[in-house]
Amino acid sequence: MSSQVHQTGSVKEYFADLFNGIKTTVVGMWITFKYVWAVKPVSIEYPEVREVLPERARMRLFNDAQNCISCTQCAMACPVDCIYIASEKKPEGAEIKKTSNGQAIRLTLTQFMIDTALCCYCGLCTTVCPTECLTHSHDYEFSQYTIDGMKYDYLAADVIAWRDRIVKS
Amino acid sequence: MQSRWDIGEPERPTINTETEQLKSELLTLNMGPQHPATHGVLRIEIWTDSEVVAHAIPHLGYLHRCMEKHCESLDYRGIIPFVDRLDYLASMNMEWAYAQTVEQMLGTEVPRRAELLRILTCELQRIASHLMAFGTYALDLGAFTPFLYAFEEREKILRLFEEVSGARLLYNYIWIGGVWNDWTDDQLARVSQFCNTMEEEAKKYHDLVSVNKIFVQRTANVGVMTIQDCLDYGATGPVLRGAGMNWDLRRNKPWSLYNEFEFDVVVATAEIGQLGDCWNRYIVRMKEVVQSIRIIRQVIEKLEPGPVMGKVPKIIKLPKGEVYVRQECPRGELGFHLVSEGDSKQPYRLKVKSPCFTNVSMLPRVAPGQMIADFVATVGSIDIVLGEVDR
Repeated sequence: MSSQVHQTGSVKEYFADLFNGIKTTVVGMWITFKYVWAVKPVSIEYPEVREVLPERARMRLFNDAQNCISCTQCAMACPVDCIYIASEKKPEGAEIKKTSNGQAIRLTLTQFMIDTALCCYCGLCTTVCPTECLTHSHDYEFSQYTIDGMKYDYLAADVIAWRDRIVKS
Repeated sequence: MQSRWDIGEPERPTINTETEQLKSELLTLNMGPQHPATHGVLRIEIWTDSEVVAHAIPHLGYLHRCMEKHCESLDYRGIIPFVDRLDYLASMNMEWAYAQTVEQMLGTEVPRRAELLRILTCELQRIASHLMAFGTYALDLGAFTPFLYAFEEREKILRLFEEVSGARLLYNYIWIGGVWNDWTDDQLARVSQFCNTMEEEAKKYHDLVSVNKIFVQRTANVGVMTIQDCLDYGATGPVLRGAGMNWDLRRNKPWSLYNEFEFDVVVATAEIGQLGDCWNRYIVRMKEVVQSIRIIRQVIEKLEPGPVMGKVPKIIKLPKGEVYVRQECPRGELGFHLVSEGDSKQPYRLKVKSPCFTNVSMLPRVAPGQMIADFVATVGSIDIVLGEVDR
């Protein structure tokens, strides 16, 4: 099985080959040359110009802890087990608050942490959430110096403060 | 006893009589795992005699993630994100094959609109995958510009997918029983607009690359895989059709609604070069893009409003039994063998038959006697995705 058989034909074939080579190269060069003026640039200069993300874009997860009823359905749906939830029973006689869609919060949420370094952004947890408090935000710039920095505790004050900034309207 | 897969010691190439007295030995060269022309983390051990490849051994496993074993501890919905990561350039096709596997055992009826949308997304994905194959193949052979043109068109498809599913590469869009979200009329209009531009672009690619003399010299008559070789090794997809065999599961074993559509199975005809060489494998992909556009246009005509999700129990438990489902993916024939023990939320076994794995096994067959540069062209023309080879 020889790799490339060099055609040793007549002189006519030789020049036909040569002409074909020049012709196809010129055609290709013309196509690329047209891009000098006839085609608009498609690339964007990223840090200055940003693309508007579509409504359904799945970026970093955000949990609105005020509406969470600690049902742990998201943690069970998660294929990589990156959601850590802990809750405890409310003491008797305590006031039972309601979520924005009217479900009673019967448990006190003590931990809601998502390891975004493990998260695979599949969106399965957001589809099972009964109160729709767990959503994908549009925030995609969250690099960290240490891997522990990727763990977000959604009960921490600074993360709650993001709410207005990153939650989808 | 010698196994039929054992190629054995390579034949020593004939040595020039003048230099026969000189000692010669084969040089072992590692191509990969970080070689840009291997499309991922494939390592190929090449034994070379000067610049001629005497023997090539692909070493797999650099991207092995224990996916099949891991699936045994996941529920049926949770497997879909992992199935996405098999062939990350054609995730939609992977999802569909898996979803169909579970649906067959579950006996779910998928709504008509959902089936049509699945065909729409998977054919778009096929175009995106072939564009990627086209771009990177030209890149392997030293042409940088076609890569940028291909990515410009691919970007339009990815943008549509991002709008409809939320992700650009690993969609988790095709679910068991239907699809996640519906397409709006506006998005469908953009798909037909894309089809029009893509047809013109395909002609442009043809002028720019397919008939280019340099490209033809690099690919025609290189890395010939005959039909018999392909059948022996179990190669499928564009590799098989490039060898001249008329075999496409969409036509031969139609699943879903594929028998309602008019399209041609693209078989190489050796306009340039000979059957089964790199050029013919390449041209099969480029012509399949045009056929996919034909299917997409028919889908858009047939679409009618309706539900996109069938009735699926909240917790999926499959009956005892097993099923094997195969589908035609951009790279060949993908199969899922699912075994269920019954009354369990997790599968007992999920075996993936990957098209790239069988296609890459043909490399030792075609490599002996090739120049190293031609070997790069051969590896590129198979269009492998290592996520699927190693799983």
